[in-house]
Amino acid sequence: MKRYPAYDPPEYVDWKPEPDVMKGFTATLSREPRRAAVVADLSTDKLMGLYEGMLRFRLHDITLKRWVRQGVLSKAWLGTGEEAVTVGNVHALRAADLVGPMIRNAGACHEMGMPLADLFRAYLGTADQITHGRDIHTGDPRRGVVPPISFVGSLVPVMAGMALAARLRGEKRVALTWVGDGASRTGEFHEGFNFAAVRKLPLIVVLQDNGVALGTPTRTHTRADFTHLGAAYGTASLTCDGNHVLDVLAATSQAVALCREGAGPVLLVAKTFRMGGHATHDEAEARAIFPARLFKTWGRRDPIGMYETWLEQRQQPLMGGRENRQVLAEIEDKVSREVEAGAQEALDSRRDSMPDGRSLREGVFATSDDSTEPAFPPCPVSATGAAAHR
Amino acid sequence: MEGVPATVGAPLPETTYLDAIRKGIWEEMEADESVFVLGEDVGAYGGAFKVTRGMLDRFGPDRVLDTPISEAAIVGAAIGAAMMGMRPVAEMQFIDFIACAFNMITNFAASSRYRTGIGVPMVIRGPAGGGVHAGPFHSGNVEAFFLNTPGLKMVQPSTARDAHGLIKAAIRDPDPVLFFEHKLLYRHIKEELTPGDEIIPLGKAALRRQGDDLTIISYGAMVHTALKAASELENDGVSTTVLDLRTLLPLDNEAILAAVARTGKVILLHEATRTGGLGGELAAIIAEEAFEYLDGPILRVTPPDTPVPYSQPLEDAFLPNAGTVTAAARKLLDY
Ligand SMILES: Cc1ncc(C[n+]2csc(CCOP(=O)(O)OP(=O)(O)O)c2C)c(N)n1
Ligand SMILES: [Mg+2]
Repeated sequence: MKRYPAYDPPEYVDWKPEPDVMKGFTATLSREPRRAAVVADLSTDKLMGLYEGMLRFRLHDITLKRWVRQGVLSKAWLGTGEEAVTVGNVHALRAADLVGPMIRNAGACHEMGMPLADLFRAYLGTADQITHGRDIHTGDPRRGVVPPISFVGSLVPVMAGMALAARLRGEKRVALTWVGDGASRTGEFHEGFNFAAVRKLPLIVVLQDNGVALGTPTRTHTRADFTHLGAAYGTASLTCDGNHVLDVLAATSQAVALCREGAGPVLLVAKTFRMGGHATHDEAEARAIFPARLFKTWGRRDPIGMYETWLEQRQQPLMGGRENRQVLAEIEDKVSREVEAGAQEALDSRRDSMPDGRSLREGVFATSDDSTEPAFPPCPVSATGAAAHR
Repeated sequence: MEGVPATVGAPLPETTYLDAIRKGIWEEMEADESVFVLGEDVGAYGGAFKVTRGMLDRFGPDRVLDTPISEAAIVGAAIGAAMMGMRPVAEMQFIDFIACAFNMITNFAASSRYRTGIGVPMVIRGPAGGGVHAGPFHSGNVEAFFLNTPGLKMVQPSTARDAHGLIKAAIRDPDPVLFFEHKLLYRHIKEELTPGDEIIPLGKAALRRQGDDLTIISYGAMVHTALKAASELENDGVSTTVLDLRTLLPLDNEAILAAVARTGKVILLHEATRTGGLGGELAAIIAEEAFEYLDGPILRVTPPDTPVPYSQPLEDAFLPNAGTVTAAARKLLDY
């Protein structure tokens, strides 16, 4: 894949697959037979979809970063280095399932099918998308994406309620949301997860442990080992390698199966690392505060680079008649163009469709124009079997 | 001039609103061992806005506590420590997050002295206010949520000097104080701090400008909007009083009534939304106690009842500005 020296973390600029890193990647695949079976069953479309999804996420973030440099935006919250955990989770779901991404999980939005242009529009505050410029956090009920609020942890009880409603309506849907290591310390996470536990709700909470909460290392805010946290609630805990998209996908599939069997909720711990700042404004600070070796070791484990290498080295062809490397390059080319086009569409909206100050008071309450249908439509039967992503 | 030390006659360095708060806390920590700070990322990171920058190095991890993202625990622990005679200064990373500590503040801390005689000398401080396109969860003004809670004090400075003097007074106060810092002012205003231990007592408003035709009562960043409006009005020959409340609870009724009595016309200006905002309470006080001095309706200039919108055109329409204030003033003056 193409690297972007102006935007990539320095560790990624000349990224090369190191033998020990790739050995570890392969070893993880055979560590658990059930996960190995899930991976063995993946179609080539699915395998390519994972690659595509992670690239889309990376390039989405690079676009935001470029806009910050250009002064189009003042800040952006990026998922650089954490793409596998979001993308792997979503690709284990079905279209009818529900996700509640935080801002660092933007990849969940596009992998659930939201157009990239709409994600960019939300950032730019344009009027022609779901928030009408009123909020930067976005989502799309028709695609099962719940818009978050800034408050970390708050989605856990809310997603528990969505899982509850789905069950009450007789729908076989799973709800999945993310908390950071930091967010897992909120009262709302605890109350929400426990609520889900006593009701055995089909809820997956991915604890995305990236080693840091804003400017505070995990060990400063948490003494316990997250691995067994589910036991405190009487539920299953699963762990996965958050930089290994196949391990994330397989672990999430296990969690989904537990939820569909009525054995939810599940706490899925994914260990990963934030390769930048909390947002674009404090990257230098993050590097000053956190040990350089963390960036170095995690930098060797670029989730996209590792997966790309694994796909390239795979014996079976992704598509007949072409080298895997070539197929991946074509995917990259397609995604780059898609991201560029989405960004351009959003910039056009910024030129033509900024909200009018006179609309300020609209939308606080329902009007007769508002639909009386539930915002999150009942599960369409056709959606139960389909893959969630795009 | 040769031989003359550069500092002689040079003005004292100016301090930003942000550094004034930092300095105030720092001085109280130097002076009183029971003062300590706690909050998210306040240690090595120095806080999201850097109000606690350098404190970890100077005072160590026992007095500069990095906490988990647990606002109820931050405030609850501050309450417990305060009951033991400590003077905690708890930071909310953005004041909006105080919502997560609502029970601790309103039910535990605020009622403690009344219920049991046990004082809770704690400060909860954090950045409030909009104007930086930070959207509905990082632009809030939360004073009205707490206005109806007996037992709390609330402060919002509008100048660097006040920020310094009021944070010190808040830390020394025997009761719980919510201290709202306007993030727009953090680095945008600065002034010389008077040397020495300038404490500014809680409960005292400040006259920023004295006039005869009209009074604007405000606080926080809106004081600067009021002053801008006042100078625009001056060009039309209107003389305006600007009263800066500084302490929002308890209110300085004396200063409020004196200003109204002098001008007979009053505008209440704030950045928090309209319904149930502080303006309604001020209007009631004025109507009850200064009715005979009024020669026009009491007007409120506030944002409408919507969440704080993210997008620039919407937020610009949301926030009061000098234009909306002068328009209200003209209406009132014509009355
Ligand atoms: C309740 C609450 N308190 C404080 C904040 C401010 N804040 C935003 S993100 C963040 C750190 C989150 O860390 P973590 O949950 O580990 O997620 P990460 O940013 O590492 O992805 C903090 C403290 C918030 N958003 N919500
Ligand atoms: Mg984290």
